[in-house]
Amino acid sequence: MTMTNALAGPGRMIRRRSFLTRRSLGTTGRYVLVYGLGMLFVLFSILPLLWGVTTALKVPSEIYAFPPTWIPKTFTFDNFIAVFHNKSLIRAFFNTLLIASATTVVALIVGMLGGYGFSRYRIPGRNTLLWSVLLTKLFPRVVVIVPFFVTLRNLQIMNTYQGLILVYLMVTFPVAIWLLKGFFDKIPKEIEEAAIVDGCSLPQLLWLVVLPMARPALVAVAMYSFILAWNEFLFALVFTNGLERRPLSVALAFFIDENGIQWGQLMAASVIMSLPAILVFTLAQRMLVRGLSDGAVKG
Amino acid sequence: MAWDSEGTLAALGEASVPRSTTQRRKRRSVALRRWSAGYILIAPAILLIILMMVYPVFQTIYFSFSKVQLPALRTTFVGFDNFVRILRDPETGPLFYRTLVWVIGGVALRMILGLGAALVFNAKVRGTVWMRVLVILPWAIPSVVGANLWRWIVQADAGVLNQTLRSWGLGHWALNWLGSPDTAMWTVIVAYAWGGFPFVMLLILARLQGLPEEINEAAKVDGANWWQIFRYITLPSLSGVLMIALILEIVSGINSFDTLMIMTGGGPANATMIWGIKIYKTGFTEFNLGGAAALSVLMFVGMLAVFAVYGIANARVRKRQEDAL
Repeated sequence: MTMTNALAGPGRMIRRRSFLTRRSLGTTGRYVLVYGLGMLFVLFSILPLLWGVTTALKVPSEIYAFPPTWIPKTFTFDNFIAVFHNKSLIRAFFNTLLIASATTVVALIVGMLGGYGFSRYRIPGRNTLLWSVLLTKLFPRVVVIVPFFVTLRNLQIMNTYQGLILVYLMVTFPVAIWLLKGFFDKIPKEIEEAAIVDGCSLPQLLWLVVLPMARPALVAVAMYSFILAWNEFLFALVFTNGLERRPLSVALAFFIDENGIQWGQLMAASVIMSLPAILVFTLAQRMLVRGLSDGAVKG
Repeated sequence: MAWDSEGTLAALGEASVPRSTTQRRKRRSVALRRWSAGYILIAPAILLIILMMVYPVFQTIYFSFSKVQLPALRTTFVGFDNFVRILRDPETGPLFYRTLVWVIGGVALRMILGLGAALVFNAKVRGTVWMRVLVILPWAIPSVVGANLWRWIVQADAGVLNQTLRSWGLGHWALNWLGSPDTAMWTVIVAYAWGGFPFVMLLILARLQGLPEEINEAAKVDGANWWQIFRYITLPSLSGVLMIALILEIVSGINSFDTLMIMTGGGPANATMIWGIKIYKTGFTEFNLGGAAALSVLMFVGMLAVFAVYGIANARVRKRQEDAL
C-alpha cells in the first residue's frame, strides 16, 4: 500500500512540472523505488518484533482482543513485573548470566593464548591445528550432542555449570582464536621485541604488553562470545534437567503453566532476553560479520 | 617449565645464520624452546579440540555400531544393526525428503531476501541508514525469542495473523498454521528465513560496498540498463560472496534446531521432523543413543557430500572466471 502511493506520487509531479530533466526523473524514481522496497523489508523485519513488544505491554483482555490493537489502549508493566516475580525465570536469568560470563572469560583466555601462539610461533603442525580449530566450529552441533553427552557423563559434569561452560566453549573458542590471531597478525612485532630485550618474560609480555594492545579485539570477542552463550539453546536443552541449572533460553522455550501459555509474560521475558543481544549486535555489527564470514555460523 | 625470554625472542626476530657448531647447537635448542613456548600457548586450545572433537568423533562412530544401555552407558557391539534399522525404517525416506525441503526452502528464501535487501540498501540514497539498522534486528535477537514470537503471531485462535485476516473479512484464509501438517513446514521456514536473511544481506552488502563505482558509471554511459548492469557486472562480482553465504546457510540449515524445535517440536504428525530433530528425539526422548549416533554419522556423511559438491562447484566457478579474464 505504501509502495503504490509512493510510486504514484512522483509520476504526477513530473507530469505537472515538465521542465524536470530526464536525469532528475531517474533520480526521483530511484528514491521512490529504494524507499518503497526498503520499507517492505523494514516492515517484514520489525512488525513481528513490534507485535511482541506491544503484547508485552498489554493487559490480558487486550492481548486476546478482536480486532487486534497495534497500540495498547491500556499500557501496563504488569507482565514485566510478573516476570521479575517469577522465581524460576529469575533463576534461569541468573544461570544464563553466570554461564555466559564464565564462558566468555575462559574463551578470552584460551583465545588470547592460542591466538598469540598461532600468530607468533611457526610451530610444526600449525596450519593443521588452525584448521582443526575452525573445523570444531563448523562441526554440526546436532551431530555432536550424543558424544558430548557421553563426555559430560564420563567427566561427571552433567547438569552442572562447568559442563555447560565446557560445551558452550566449543562454540566460542574457535571464533576467539581466529579473530585474535587475525588481530595479532596485523600488529607489528617490534614492540614485543623491545619488551623482550628489556628482559620481559613471556607471562609478563602477555600481561603487560600484548593484553593492553589487544583490548579492542578482546572486547569484540567478549561481546560475541557472551551473546553466543546467552542465546545457546540446543546444548542447554540436552545437558540440563530440572530448574536448577536451566538457562533462560530453555526456560522461555518451555514457558507454560497450568493456565497454558501466558503470552504477555512470555513476550515481556523475551524483550528482556533480547535487549543485551540487540545492544551487542548493533554495536559490533561490522566486526561480527567479518568474524562470522570467516567460518562461524549463527543458528 | 621455564618461560625463557631468549627463546621467545628468537621466534620474534630474524635470527642470523649460525656459523659454528656451537652456535648451531645453541640455535637448535633455542628453536626447541620457542616451539615449546608456542605449544604451551596453544595447549588449552589443543586440549579442547581433543576433548570435544577428536574423542567425540570416535565415540560417535563407536556408538553407532553399538547398543547403548542407559544409565550406565553399557555398550554391546551390534555391527551395522543401527544403520540397517534406519535404512529399513519407512520413516527415513520422508525424513530425508523433509530435511531437503527444509534446507532448500529455508536457504532459498534467506538468499533471495538477503540479496534483495542488499541491493536495495546499497543504493546511494540519503536516509536509508536507519532502515538498514532496523532490518538487521531479526538477526540480532535470540533464536528462542524469534521462534516464540512467530509461534504467538501464527497462533490459530488469538494470533495476530489470523485475527487480522478475520478483521479484514478474509476469515477463510485463517488457518491453523502450526497445527496443520500442510502449512506447518512453510510457516516455520518463513520464521527461519526472517531470523537469518539479515546476515546474508550484511555479507553481500559488505562486498557490494567494496566494488568500484566507476565500472557501473562507464556501463551506464555506454547505454547499459539496470538489468544489464546487474546481470553482467554486479552478479559476477558477487559470485564469491554468494558462494560463501550459500555454504554457510546450507550448513546452518542442515544443523538448525532451535526454531523448529520450539515452534513445532517436529510435529504435527512429524510434518516438520527433520534429521537434526530426529537425532535429538532418538537420543534424548527415546534414549536410544546408538540409534542417535548412527543418525549423526549418516548426517555427517551427508554434510561431507555437500562440502564435496560445493568444492567442485566452487572450483568450476573459479575456472570459468579465470577463463573469462
